[in-house]
Amino acid sequence: MSYDSNTLEIERFQWVGKKVGFYGSIFIIALVSVFPILWMFITSLKQPGNVVTFPVEYIPRNPTLANYRAAIEGAPFFRYLLNSAIVATGTAVLDVLLGSLAGYALSRLRFRFKLPVLLLILGTAMLPFIARLIPLFSLARSWGLLNNYLGLIIPYAAFQLPFAVWIFQAYFKELPDSLEEAGLMDGLSRIGVLFRIILPVSAPAMATAAIIVFIYAWNEFLFALTFMTEDSMRTITVGIALYQGEFQYPWGTISAAVFMSVIPLILFMLFFQRKVVEGLTATGKA
Amino acid sequence: MADTVESSSGATYGESPERQNRLQRYRDLRFTEEELAVILLTPVVSFLLAVSFYPIFDTVVGSLHTGYVLEINPQEFVGLENYRELYGSGPLLDQFLNGDGFWNALRVSLIYTFVSVPIELVLGLGLALLLNREFKGKYFAQAAILFPWAIPTVINARIWAWMFNGQYGVINDLLIRVGILQQPFPFLAKPDSALYAMLFITIWKTSSFMALILLAGLQSIPDHLYEAARMDGASRIRQFWDITLPLLKPTLLVALIFRTLPAFQAFGLPFGLTGGGPASATTTLVLFDHQLTFNRLNFGEGAATATIITLIALAIAMVYVGTLYEPEVR
Repeated sequence: MSYDSNTLEIERFQWVGKKVGFYGSIFIIALVSVFPILWMFITSLKQPGNVVTFPVEYIPRNPTLANYRAAIEGAPFFRYLLNSAIVATGTAVLDVLLGSLAGYALSRLRFRFKLPVLLLILGTAMLPFIARLIPLFSLARSWGLLNNYLGLIIPYAAFQLPFAVWIFQAYFKELPDSLEEAGLMDGLSRIGVLFRIILPVSAPAMATAAIIVFIYAWNEFLFALTFMTEDSMRTITVGIALYQGEFQYPWGTISAAVFMSVIPLILFMLFFQRKVVEGLTATGKA
Repeated sequence: MADTVESSSGATYGESPERQNRLQRYRDLRFTEEELAVILLTPVVSFLLAVSFYPIFDTVVGSLHTGYVLEINPQEFVGLENYRELYGSGPLLDQFLNGDGFWNALRVSLIYTFVSVPIELVLGLGLALLLNREFKGKYFAQAAILFPWAIPTVINARIWAWMFNGQYGVINDLLIRVGILQQPFPFLAKPDSALYAMLFITIWKTSSFMALILLAGLQSIPDHLYEAARMDGASRIRQFWDITLPLLKPTLLVALIFRTLPAFQAFGLPFGLTGGGPASATTTLVLFDHQLTFNRLNFGEGAATATIITLIALAIAMVYVGTLYEPEVR
């Protein structure tokens, strides 16, 4: 076997090299992905005087929470967070409700004009937001929905509905026919089948759709900027984007504010990562 | 639901015939499939008609008027005057290449879209191929790679504005440390470099999103195809071209549409990064439209710009579907 040991050695060497290369590239990609957030965190801990130095400081000397105090005192961030949570939750609930009903009809029922209806619903996803902004703004104004949570929930729900419908119809398509047949045999009406059998087993699709819609509503900027003109009604995204501080560009305070605003998102991603991936991939599976 | 009614009605002796009758009707609430479909879809379709289609129609009408919507001036029908104002004067090609205002914004948006999306697609495909296997720590790697996608675009823009800062930015510091730069460079204060910075940021943010969509496509390709190809002695590269790419085509279509349309509507990134400057070098179409409408209160031209954006968006979607869609063979 001695003549083999050399090739074995080389193979092992190649194997190790491949592993190192693979994990090395994964590590670099992951680092590049999280670096901006990491940098915000580092900046936020610096002494105010050390934020604007060059060459920059990579490890904060005498780390401080002063920037966080300044950020919290400078703007109603908790109010912004609450506004975002209400708007995003309301949008997600509305889309799960409407999306599941439409998704059921489009995947499990036979009826005329099914394809045109499906195309109509999905087609709305292609329409630019800016072309819907002013008419909806003017409608919201005449209905008193500016600076009102519903003023954002209604357009957001409409914008994300095509994706919710798509997620639900893809999920319902995979359910076995026997499920409904058993319900109908037991004397349930079709509506009974939907509410008692189909919807209870569709929790995974509901979670996926809710999360995708929630993240969209949390992150949206154009409508949130336009429809919420009072500071106390701003969402966190707009609040951060417009945050200037009292003096000229206080980057330390902004970093603290930004970092606080992404903490919920970071936790959300870690908790629901698999659901998020499922949601994205479900919309990607044509 | 039907059997709740049944059981409760079963226990109600001596009810009036009228009520019995009503319960009976309730029990017969058994729609045909088509009736149920109409009931379930009507709210959704009318909601979308009201909130998505009607505003588009209104915008098109508004683009033919002055003083549209907010009644700052009395509304007046002016035909295509708003479009003529946007067009300016001069030969079409000359305006397209050198015009300012609308034409500048159109150029910025076209460059932004058609440079960033192909690069994102290639990087995303590479990432997807890398992630398309089992390895230790995959969960954390995926979570990290998803980060850029989860950060709100406009907040992301603020973060990068700080990192690209011309005096104290970490990017300047890093580039000086590795010897690429001698002294800090004001990336966001020069027209060309501001546009490149904007492209870099969007590519950084969106490649991971591409990767996830493409990963789903990769995972749906059956393994036995690759096994068969290996038996026939096909190389890895050959397998990629002959199996992976053709079978990935539908997913590529979705990823392209999903990215091209939002890229063409970019707003939060230039808004938060540069405000469209310097000298409107990063003013995208939607930012231009927003400024026209809300800063200059020119609602007619704003609506005309929005109408043009809609037409281009629909054209992009149709071109993609036309070239990449293949009817399923069953």
